[in-house]
Amino acid sequence: MEKQPVIIKNNKYGLIVILDQDLEFEALKEKVAEKFRASAKFFGETQIALCFQGRKLSPEEEAVLVETITGNCMLQVISIVDEDETREEAMKKAVEARTDREGLMDLQDGRFYKGTLRSGQVLESETSIIILGDVNPGARVISKGNVVVLGAMKGNAFVGAAGNESAFVAALSMDPMQIRIGDVIARSSDKVQKKKKKAEDVPKIAYVEDGNIYIEPITKEVLNDINL
Amino acid sequence: MSEVIVITSGKGGVGKTTSTANIGTGLAKLDKSVVMIDTDIGLRNLDVVMGLENRIVYNLVDVVEGNCRMKQALIKDKRYPNLSLLPSAQTRDKTAVNPEQMVKLIEELRTEFDYILLDCPAGIEQGFKNAIAAADRAIIVTTPEVSAIRDADRIIGLLEANEIHKIDLIVNRLRMDMVKRGDMMSIEDVIDILAIDLIGAVPDDESIVIATNQGEPLAGDSSLAGTAYMNICKRILGEEVPLMNLEVNNGFFAKIAKLFK
Repeated sequence: MEKQPVIIKNNKYGLIVILDQDLEFEALKEKVAEKFRASAKFFGETQIALCFQGRKLSPEEEAVLVETITGNCMLQVISIVDEDETREEAMKKAVEARTDREGLMDLQDGRFYKGTLRSGQVLESETSIIILGDVNPGARVISKGNVVVLGAMKGNAFVGAAGNESAFVAALSMDPMQIRIGDVIARSSDKVQKKKKKAEDVPKIAYVEDGNIYIEPITKEVLNDINL
Repeated sequence: MSEVIVITSGKGGVGKTTSTANIGTGLAKLDKSVVMIDTDIGLRNLDVVMGLENRIVYNLVDVVEGNCRMKQALIKDKRYPNLSLLPSAQTRDKTAVNPEQMVKLIEELRTEFDYILLDCPAGIEQGFKNAIAAADRAIIVTTPEVSAIRDADRIIGLLEANEIHKIDLIVNRLRMDMVKRGDMMSIEDVIDILAIDLIGAVPDDESIVIATNQGEPLAGDSSLAGTAYMNICKRILGEEVPLMNLEVNNGFFAKIAKLFK
Protein backbone atom coordinates (compact mmCIF):
# COMPACT_ATOMS: atom_id res chain seq x y z
CA MET A 1 0.00 0.00 0.00
CA GLU A 2 1.19 3.46 -0.81
CA LYS A 3 2.16 5.56 2.16
CA GLN A 4 -0.43 8.21 2.90
CA PRO A 5 1.10 11.69 2.78
CA VAL A 6 -1.56 13.14 5.11
CA ILE A 7 -3.29 11.30 7.91
CA ILE A 8 -5.98 12.85 10.09
CA LYS A 9 -6.49 11.47 13.57
CA ASN A 10 -8.89 12.82 16.09
CA ASN A 11 -9.23 12.88 19.82
CA LYS A 12 -12.05 14.34 21.89
CA TYR A 13 -11.00 17.92 21.48
CA GLY A 14 -9.39 18.24 18.16
CA LEU A 15 -7.58 16.86 15.17
CA ILE A 16 -4.06 15.62 14.80
CA VAL A 17 -2.77 15.95 11.29
CA ILE A 18 0.17 13.70 10.57
CA LEU A 19 2.20 14.98 7.64
CA ASP A 20 4.67 13.25 5.36
CA GLN A 21 8.23 14.29 6.00
CA ASP A 22 9.63 14.11 2.51
CA LEU A 23 6.91 15.49 0.31
CA GLU A 24 7.30 18.87 -1.36
CA PHE A 25 5.41 21.50 0.68
CA GLU A 26 3.25 22.61 -2.26
CA ALA A 27 2.25 19.01 -2.96
CA LEU A 28 1.62 18.42 0.71
CA LYS A 29 -0.65 21.47 0.83
CA GLU A 30 -2.64 20.01 -2.09
CA LYS A 31 -2.99 16.70 -0.26
CA VAL A 32 -4.17 18.44 2.94
CA ALA A 33 -6.77 20.41 1.00
CA GLU A 34 -7.97 17.26 -0.74
CA LYS A 35 -8.24 15.35 2.52
CA PHE A 36 -10.23 18.01 4.35
CA ARG A 37 -12.49 18.70 1.38
CA ALA A 38 -13.42 15.04 1.32
CA SER A 39 -14.29 14.98 5.04
CA ALA A 40 -15.91 18.43 5.26
CA LYS A 41 -19.40 16.97 5.66
CA PHE A 42 -18.24 14.59 8.33
CA PHE A 43 -16.52 17.23 10.42
CA GLY A 44 -19.39 19.70 10.31
CA GLU A 45 -19.00 23.13 11.87
CA THR A 46 -17.35 22.22 15.13
CA GLN A 47 -14.74 24.26 16.89
CA ILE A 48 -11.49 22.35 17.22
CA ALA A 49 -7.93 22.56 18.33
CA LEU A 50 -5.34 21.49 15.78
CA CYS A 51 -2.01 19.76 16.06
CA PHE A 52 0.53 19.01 13.33
CA GLN A 53 2.83 16.01 13.58
CA GLY A 54 5.48 14.22 11.59
CA ARG A 55 7.17 17.22 10.06
CA LYS A 56 8.83 20.40 11.23
CA LEU A 57 6.88 23.35 9.98
CA SER A 58 7.97 26.96 9.87
CA PRO A 59 5.44 29.42 11.28
CA GLU A 60 4.65 30.56 7.73
CA GLU A 61 4.07 26.99 6.56
CA GLU A 62 1.86 26.33 9.56
CA ALA A 63 -0.24 29.40 8.79
CA VAL A 64 -0.61 28.33 5.18
CA LEU A 65 -1.78 24.86 6.20
CA VAL A 66 -4.35 26.20 8.70
CA GLU A 67 -5.69 28.47 6.02
CA THR A 68 -5.86 25.54 3.63
CA ILE A 69 -7.84 23.54 6.18
CA THR A 70 -10.34 26.25 7.08
CA GLY A 71 -10.70 27.08 3.41
CA ASN A 72 -11.73 23.57 2.50
CA CYS A 73 -14.16 22.66 5.27
CA MET A 74 -16.42 24.35 7.79
CA LEU A 75 -14.26 23.61 10.84
CA GLN A 76 -13.26 26.52 13.02
CA VAL A 77 -9.72 26.21 14.24
CA ILE A 78 -9.55 27.78 17.68
CA SER A 79 -5.93 27.09 18.43
CA ILE A 80 -2.88 25.25 17.24
CA VAL A 81 -1.23 23.06 19.80
CA ASP A 82 2.43 22.14 19.83
CA GLU A 83 3.39 18.54 19.62
CA ASP A 84 4.30 17.24 23.08
CA GLU A 85 3.22 14.84 25.81
CA THR A 86 0.36 16.90 27.14
CA ARG A 87 -1.05 17.51 23.73
CA GLU A 88 -4.57 16.34 24.52
CA GLU A 89 -4.57 18.25 27.80
CA ALA A 90 -3.63 21.43 25.99
CA MET A 91 -6.24 20.88 23.28
CA LYS A 92 -8.87 20.35 25.90
CA LYS A 93 -7.96 23.54 27.67
CA ALA A 94 -7.95 25.56 24.50
CA VAL A 95 -11.41 24.37 23.43
CA GLU A 96 -12.98 24.64 26.86
CA ALA A 97 -11.66 28.10 27.54
CA ARG A 98 -13.18 29.27 24.30
CA THR A 99 -16.57 27.56 24.67
CA ASP A 100 -16.86 28.72 28.27
CA ARG A 101 -16.50 32.28 27.22
CA GLU A 102 -19.16 31.88 24.58
CA GLY A 103 -21.38 30.02 27.05
CA LEU A 104 -21.33 32.97 29.36
CA MET A 105 -22.49 35.21 26.54
CA ASP A 106 -25.47 32.92 26.01
CA LEU A 107 -26.44 33.04 29.67
CA GLN A 108 -26.92 36.76 29.42
CA ASP A 109 -29.25 36.26 26.49
CA GLY A 110 -32.81 35.06 26.77
CA ARG A 111 -35.58 33.81 24.59
CA PHE A 112 -39.30 34.13 25.04
CA TYR A 113 -41.87 31.39 24.75
CA LYS A 114 -45.58 32.15 24.72
CA GLY A 115 -48.09 29.46 25.60
CA THR A 116 -48.69 26.70 28.05
CA LEU A 117 -46.11 23.91 28.09
CA ARG A 118 -48.14 20.75 28.39
CA SER A 119 -47.37 17.27 29.62
CA GLY A 120 -44.81 15.62 27.35
CA GLN A 121 -43.57 18.87 25.84
CA VAL A 122 -39.93 19.85 26.26
CA LEU A 123 -38.53 23.33 25.80
CA GLU A 124 -34.76 23.36 25.53
CA SER A 125 -32.48 26.31 25.03
CA GLU A 126 -28.83 27.28 25.22
CA THR A 127 -29.93 30.65 26.53
CA SER A 128 -32.20 31.66 29.39
CA ILE A 129 -35.94 31.20 28.88
CA ILE A 130 -38.89 33.41 29.77
CA ILE A 131 -42.23 31.62 29.53
CA LEU A 132 -45.45 33.58 29.13
CA GLY A 133 -47.79 30.86 30.35
CA ASP A 134 -47.79 27.82 32.60
CA VAL A 135 -45.48 24.84 32.74
CA ASN A 136 -47.84 21.95 33.44
CA PRO A 137 -46.99 18.73 35.27
CA GLY A 138 -45.09 16.38 32.96
CA ALA A 139 -43.56 19.20 30.90
CA ARG A 140 -39.83 20.03 30.98
CA VAL A 141 -37.88 23.23 30.56
CA ILE A 142 -34.15 22.86 30.05
CA SER A 143 -31.82 25.84 29.86
CA LYS A 144 -28.13 26.46 30.28
CA GLY A 145 -29.14 29.78 31.78
CA ASN A 146 -32.09 30.77 33.93
CA VAL A 147 -35.83 30.16 33.61
CA VAL A 148 -38.52 32.69 34.46
CA VAL A 149 -42.15 31.58 34.29
CA LEU A 150 -44.80 34.29 34.12
CA GLY A 151 -47.41 31.80 35.18
CA ALA A 152 -47.46 28.60 37.21
CA MET A 153 -44.42 26.34 37.34
CA LYS A 154 -45.85 22.85 37.92
CA GLY A 155 -43.52 20.71 35.84
CA ASN A 156 -39.80 19.99 35.71
CA ALA A 157 -37.13 22.62 35.31
CA PHE A 158 -33.45 22.05 34.65
CA VAL A 159 -31.42 25.23 34.71
CA GLY A 160 -27.70 25.81 34.52
CA ALA A 161 -27.72 22.67 32.41
CA ALA A 162 -24.02 23.01 31.66
CA GLY A 163 -23.29 22.65 35.38
CA ASN A 164 -23.76 26.26 36.39
CA GLU A 165 -25.06 26.34 39.97
CA SER A 166 -25.65 30.06 40.05
CA ALA A 167 -28.64 29.64 37.73
CA PHE A 168 -32.17 30.10 39.07
CA VAL A 169 -35.83 29.40 38.36
CA ALA A 170 -38.44 32.03 39.14
CA ALA A 171 -42.22 31.75 38.77
CA LEU A 172 -45.35 33.66 39.71
CA SER A 173 -46.71 30.44 41.17
CA MET A 174 -44.08 27.92 42.18
CA ASP A 175 -45.22 24.34 42.57
CA PRO A 176 -42.66 22.30 40.63
CA MET A 177 -42.39 18.56 40.31
CA GLN A 178 -38.59 18.71 40.18
CA ILE A 179 -36.03 21.43 39.95
CA ARG A 180 -32.48 20.77 38.93
CA ILE A 181 -29.91 23.52 39.13
CA GLY A 182 -26.53 22.44 37.82
CA ASP A 183 -26.04 19.08 39.47
CA VAL A 184 -28.35 19.69 42.44
CA ILE A 185 -31.79 18.13 42.24
CA ALA A 186 -34.81 18.84 44.42
CA ARG A 187 -38.22 17.24 44.14
CA SER A 188 -41.60 18.22 45.49
CA SER A 189 -42.64 16.83 48.86
CA ASP A 190 -44.41 13.48 48.92
CA LYS A 191 -47.16 14.79 51.14
CA VAL A 192 -50.22 15.82 49.18
CA GLN A 193 -50.43 19.53 49.63
CA LYS A 194 -53.60 21.12 50.83
CA LYS A 195 -54.77 23.44 48.14
CA LYS A 196 -53.11 26.79 48.46
CA LYS A 197 -55.29 29.83 48.64
CA LYS A 198 -54.66 32.14 45.72
CA ALA A 199 -53.63 34.94 48.06
CA GLU A 200 -50.88 32.83 49.63
CA ASP A 201 -49.40 32.13 46.24
CA VAL A 202 -46.59 34.62 45.88
CA PRO A 203 -43.90 34.74 43.20
CA LYS A 204 -40.95 32.60 44.21
CA ILE A 205 -37.42 31.89 43.13
CA ALA A 206 -35.39 28.70 43.40
CA TYR A 207 -31.62 28.90 43.76
CA VAL A 208 -28.69 26.91 45.12
CA GLU A 209 -26.95 27.77 48.35
CA ASP A 210 -24.43 25.44 50.04
CA GLY A 211 -25.39 22.60 47.74
CA ASN A 212 -29.11 22.81 48.54
CA ILE A 213 -31.95 24.20 46.52
CA TYR A 214 -33.97 26.88 48.30
CA ILE A 215 -37.33 28.18 47.16
CA GLU A 216 -38.06 31.60 48.60
CA PRO A 217 -40.52 34.41 47.93
CA ILE A 218 -38.93 36.99 45.67
CA THR A 219 -37.71 39.84 47.84
CA LYS A 220 -35.09 42.53 47.40
CA GLU A 221 -32.68 40.64 49.65
CA VAL A 222 -32.97 37.43 47.69
CA LEU A 223 -32.57 39.21 44.37
CA ASN A 224 -29.47 41.02 45.65
CA ASP A 225 -27.81 37.64 46.19
CA ILE A 226 -28.38 36.51 42.61
CA ASN A 227 -25.31 36.65 40.41
CA LEU A 228 -25.88 36.90 36.72
CA MET B 1 -70.86 23.39 5.88
CA SER B 2 -70.14 20.27 7.85
CA GLU B 3 -67.98 20.15 10.95
CA VAL B 4 -65.73 17.26 11.95
CA ILE B 5 -65.36 16.88 15.70
CA VAL B 6 -63.00 14.42 17.34
CA ILE B 7 -63.89 13.32 20.87
CA THR B 8 -60.75 12.31 22.68
CA SER B 9 -59.17 12.06 26.14
CA GLY B 10 -55.88 10.22 26.16
CA LYS B 11 -56.82 8.16 29.18
CA GLY B 12 -59.27 5.31 28.78
CA GLY B 13 -62.53 4.91 30.62
CA VAL B 14 -63.35 8.57 31.13
CA GLY B 15 -66.42 8.51 28.89
CA LYS B 16 -65.37 9.22 25.31
CA THR B 17 -67.71 6.68 23.78
CA THR B 18 -70.61 7.57 26.06
CA SER B 19 -70.10 11.24 25.28
CA THR B 20 -69.93 10.55 21.55
CA ALA B 21 -73.16 8.55 21.68
CA ASN B 22 -74.95 11.23 23.67
CA ILE B 23 -73.69 14.19 21.67
CA GLY B 24 -74.58 12.38 18.44
CA THR B 25 -78.07 11.65 19.73
CA GLY B 26 -78.49 15.17 21.08
CA LEU B 27 -77.46 16.81 17.80
CA ALA B 28 -79.82 14.49 15.92
CA LYS B 29 -82.62 15.55 18.27
CA LEU B 30 -81.79 19.14 17.36
CA ASP B 31 -82.51 18.22 13.71
CA LYS B 32 -78.94 18.02 12.49
CA SER B 33 -77.78 15.21 10.27
CA VAL B 34 -75.02 13.43 12.14
CA VAL B 35 -72.67 10.54 11.53
CA MET B 36 -70.65 8.99 14.32
CA ILE B 37 -67.49 7.13 13.36
CA ASP B 38 -65.99 4.60 15.75
CA THR B 39 -62.24 4.84 15.10
CA ASP B 40 -61.36 2.39 17.84
CA ILE B 41 -60.48 -0.43 15.46
CA GLY B 42 -60.22 -3.76 17.28
CA LEU B 43 -62.06 -2.59 20.39
CA ARG B 44 -65.30 -1.29 19.01
CA ASN B 45 -68.07 -0.40 21.39
CA LEU B 46 -69.84 2.72 20.18
CA ASP B 47 -72.28 0.38 18.42
CA VAL B 48 -72.98 -1.37 21.73
CA VAL B 49 -73.63 1.88 23.56
CA MET B 50 -75.95 2.92 20.71
CA GLY B 51 -77.73 -0.45 20.76
CA LEU B 52 -76.92 -1.05 17.10
CA GLU B 53 -74.50 -3.96 17.39
CA ASN B 54 -76.82 -6.45 15.71
CA ARG B 55 -76.99 -4.42 12.50
CA ILE B 56 -73.32 -4.36 11.62
CA VAL B 57 -72.57 -5.98 8.29
CA TYR B 58 -69.70 -3.87 6.95
CA ASN B 59 -67.35 -1.59 8.83
CA LEU B 60 -64.87 1.24 8.50
CA VAL B 61 -62.01 -1.00 7.37
CA ASP B 62 -64.25 -2.52 4.68
CA VAL B 63 -64.97 0.96 3.34
CA VAL B 64 -61.30 1.97 3.38
CA GLU B 65 -60.25 -1.25 1.67
CA GLY B 66 -62.99 -0.97 -0.90
CA ASN B 67 -64.88 -4.12 0.09
CA CYS B 68 -68.12 -2.18 0.16
CA ARG B 69 -69.58 1.22 -0.62
CA MET B 70 -69.92 3.84 2.11
CA LYS B 71 -73.73 3.58 1.97
CA GLN B 72 -73.59 -0.12 2.79
CA ALA B 73 -71.49 0.35 5.91
CA LEU B 74 -73.43 3.26 7.41
CA ILE B 75 -76.01 2.11 9.96
CA LYS B 76 -79.07 4.30 10.37
CA ASP B 77 -80.11 4.71 13.99
CA LYS B 78 -83.36 3.00 14.93
CA ARG B 79 -84.70 6.08 16.71
CA TYR B 80 -83.47 9.01 14.62
CA PRO B 81 -83.39 8.80 10.82
CA ASN B 82 -80.85 11.64 10.60
CA LEU B 83 -78.33 9.83 12.82
CA SER B 84 -75.90 7.29 11.36
CA LEU B 85 -73.04 5.18 12.67
CA LEU B 86 -69.96 3.93 10.89
CA PRO B 87 -68.80 1.06 13.09
CA SER B 88 -65.20 -0.02 13.39
CA ALA B 89 -63.81 -3.47 12.68
CA GLN B 90 -63.44 -5.88 15.56
CA THR B 91 -61.12 -8.38 13.89
CA ARG B 92 -58.40 -5.97 12.79
CA ASP B 93 -56.15 -3.46 14.55
CA LYS B 94 -55.32 0.24 14.35
CA THR B 95 -52.72 -0.26 11.62
CA ALA B 96 -55.44 -1.38 9.19
CA VAL B 97 -56.07 2.29 8.40
CA ASN B 98 -53.74 5.26 7.96
CA PRO B 99 -54.40 9.00 8.44
CA GLU B 100 -54.54 9.72 4.68
CA GLN B 101 -57.26 7.11 4.23
CA MET B 102 -59.22 8.64 7.11
CA VAL B 103 -59.03 12.09 5.54
CA LYS B 104 -60.31 10.69 2.25
CA LEU B 105 -63.12 8.79 3.95
CA ILE B 106 -64.26 11.84 5.89
CA GLU B 107 -64.12 14.08 2.82
CA GLU B 108 -66.65 11.73 1.30
CA LEU B 109 -68.96 12.07 4.32
CA ARG B 110 -68.68 15.85 4.56
CA THR B 111 -71.06 16.35 1.66
CA GLU B 112 -73.86 14.42 3.33
CA PHE B 113 -73.76 15.31 7.01
CA ASP B 114 -73.81 18.45 9.16
CA TYR B 115 -71.72 16.90 11.90
CA ILE B 116 -69.17 14.10 11.79
CA LEU B 117 -68.26 12.84 15.26
CA LEU B 118 -65.12 10.77 15.67
CA ASP B 119 -64.92 8.52 18.70
CA CYS B 120 -61.19 8.38 19.36
CA PRO B 121 -59.47 5.39 20.99
CA ALA B 122 -57.49 5.86 24.20
CA GLY B 123 -53.78 6.45 23.80
CA ILE B 124 -51.68 8.59 21.49
CA GLU B 125 -50.63 6.01 18.92
CA GLN B 126 -51.81 5.17 15.43
CA GLY B 127 -55.50 5.10 16.39
CA PHE B 128 -55.29 8.60 17.82
CA LYS B 129 -53.41 9.85 14.77
CA ASN B 130 -56.06 8.36 12.48
CA ALA B 131 -58.87 9.96 14.47
CA ILE B 132 -57.46 13.49 14.53
CA ALA B 133 -56.19 13.52 10.95
CA ALA B 134 -59.34 15.05 9.48
CA ALA B 135 -60.79 16.83 12.52
CA ASP B 136 -61.74 20.53 12.43
CA ARG B 137 -62.17 20.76 16.17
CA ALA B 138 -61.80 18.60 19.25
CA ILE B 139 -63.71 17.91 22.41
CA ILE B 140 -61.58 16.63 25.28
CA VAL B 141 -63.33 14.47 27.85
CA THR B 142 -61.77 14.27 31.28
CA THR B 143 -62.82 13.28 34.77
CA PRO B 144 -61.72 15.39 37.74
CA GLU B 145 -58.82 13.03 38.50
CA VAL B 146 -55.14 13.90 38.27
CA SER B 147 -54.32 11.00 35.95
CA ALA B 148 -57.07 11.86 33.47
CA ILE B 149 -56.13 15.53 33.56
CA ARG B 150 -52.47 14.76 32.99
CA ASP B 151 -53.36 12.74 29.89
CA ALA B 152 -55.79 15.41 28.70
CA ASP B 153 -53.01 17.97 28.99
CA ARG B 154 -50.72 15.84 26.84
CA ILE B 155 -53.48 15.35 24.28
CA ILE B 156 -54.12 19.10 24.06
CA GLY B 157 -50.42 19.61 23.36
CA LEU B 158 -50.52 16.99 20.60
CA LEU B 159 -53.68 18.48 19.07
CA GLU B 160 -52.13 21.94 19.00
CA ALA B 161 -49.03 20.49 17.37
CA ASN B 162 -51.35 19.03 14.72
CA GLU B 163 -52.92 22.43 14.00
CA ILE B 164 -56.22 21.76 15.75
CA HIS B 165 -56.81 24.91 17.75
CA LYS B 166 -60.51 24.80 18.56
CA ILE B 167 -60.44 22.55 21.60
CA ASP B 168 -63.24 22.38 24.16
CA LEU B 169 -63.49 20.53 27.41
CA ILE B 170 -66.09 18.26 28.96
CA VAL B 171 -65.59 17.51 32.64
CA ASN B 172 -67.29 14.18 33.14
CA ARG B 173 -68.41 12.27 36.22
CA LEU B 174 -68.41 15.25 38.49
CA ARG B 175 -69.68 14.70 42.03
CA MET B 176 -70.69 17.99 43.50
CA ASP B 177 -71.00 16.56 47.00
CA MET B 178 -67.34 15.49 46.89
CA VAL B 179 -66.26 18.79 45.38
CA LYS B 180 -68.03 20.59 48.22
CA ARG B 181 -66.17 18.52 50.79
CA GLY B 182 -62.92 19.33 49.02
CA ASP B 183 -62.30 15.68 48.08
CA MET B 184 -62.65 16.21 44.35
CA MET B 185 -61.27 18.83 42.02
CA SER B 186 -63.81 21.42 40.99
CA ILE B 187 -64.50 22.48 37.40
CA GLU B 188 -62.52 25.65 38.08
CA ASP B 189 -59.50 23.64 39.23
CA VAL B 190 -59.58 21.55 36.06
CA ILE B 191 -59.87 24.56 33.77
CA ASP B 192 -57.10 26.25 35.70
CA ILE B 193 -54.71 23.43 34.78
CA LEU B 194 -55.82 22.75 31.23
CA ALA B 195 -56.46 26.36 30.19
CA ILE B 196 -59.04 25.58 27.49
CA ASP B 197 -62.73 26.49 27.07
CA LEU B 198 -65.32 24.47 28.96
CA ILE B 199 -68.19 23.25 26.82
CA GLY B 200 -69.99 21.36 29.56
CA ALA B 201 -69.86 19.42 32.79
CA VAL B 202 -71.62 16.10 33.24
CA PRO B 203 -72.49 14.86 36.72
CA ASP B 204 -71.81 11.32 37.89
CA ASP B 205 -75.27 9.95 37.33
CA GLU B 206 -76.62 6.42 37.78
CA SER B 207 -78.99 6.90 34.90
CA ILE B 208 -76.07 7.14 32.47
CA VAL B 209 -74.78 3.71 33.52
CA ILE B 210 -78.24 2.26 33.03
CA ALA B 211 -78.69 4.00 29.68
CA THR B 212 -75.29 2.83 28.44
CA ASN B 213 -76.04 -0.78 29.35
CA GLN B 214 -79.39 -0.63 27.62
CA GLY B 215 -78.00 0.95 24.47
CA GLU B 216 -80.25 3.98 24.80
CA PRO B 217 -78.36 7.31 24.89
CA LEU B 218 -80.12 9.66 27.28
CA ALA B 219 -79.25 13.06 25.83
CA GLY B 220 -82.29 15.27 26.07
CA ASP B 221 -84.25 13.32 28.65
CA SER B 222 -85.06 14.64 32.11
CA SER B 223 -82.08 13.16 33.97
CA LEU B 224 -79.27 15.45 35.07
CA ALA B 225 -76.76 13.86 32.72
CA GLY B 226 -79.27 13.89 29.87
CA THR B 227 -79.83 17.62 30.33
CA ALA B 228 -76.09 18.24 30.63
CA TYR B 229 -75.43 16.50 27.30
CA MET B 230 -78.26 18.37 25.60
CA ASN B 231 -76.75 21.65 26.82
CA ILE B 232 -73.40 20.58 25.39
CA CYS B 233 -75.06 19.93 22.01
CA LYS B 234 -76.64 23.38 22.05
CA ARG B 235 -73.28 24.93 22.84
CA ILE B 236 -71.74 23.02 19.91
CA LEU B 237 -74.36 24.71 17.71
CA GLY B 238 -73.18 28.05 19.09
CA GLU B 239 -76.04 28.74 21.52
CA GLU B 240 -75.23 30.39 24.82
CA VAL B 241 -76.49 28.06 27.53
CA PRO B 242 -75.59 28.80 31.14
CA LEU B 243 -73.98 26.01 33.19
CA MET B 244 -76.70 24.16 35.04
CA ASN B 245 -76.75 23.39 38.72
CA LEU B 246 -75.28 19.92 39.00
CA GLU B 247 -76.12 19.36 42.64
CA VAL B 248 -77.96 16.21 43.48
CA ASN B 249 -79.81 16.71 46.69
CA ASN B 250 -79.08 13.59 48.68
CA GLY B 251 -79.02 15.15 52.13
CA PHE B 252 -80.87 13.94 55.16
CA PHE B 253 -83.83 16.24 54.66
CA ALA B 254 -84.08 15.35 51.02
CA LYS B 255 -84.33 11.70 51.97
CA ILE B 256 -87.05 12.40 54.53
CA ALA B 257 -88.88 14.50 51.96
CA LYS B 258 -88.69 11.53 49.59
CA LEU B 259 -90.28 9.26 52.22
CA PHE B 260 -93.28 11.52 52.47
CA LYS B 261 -93.75 11.84 48.74
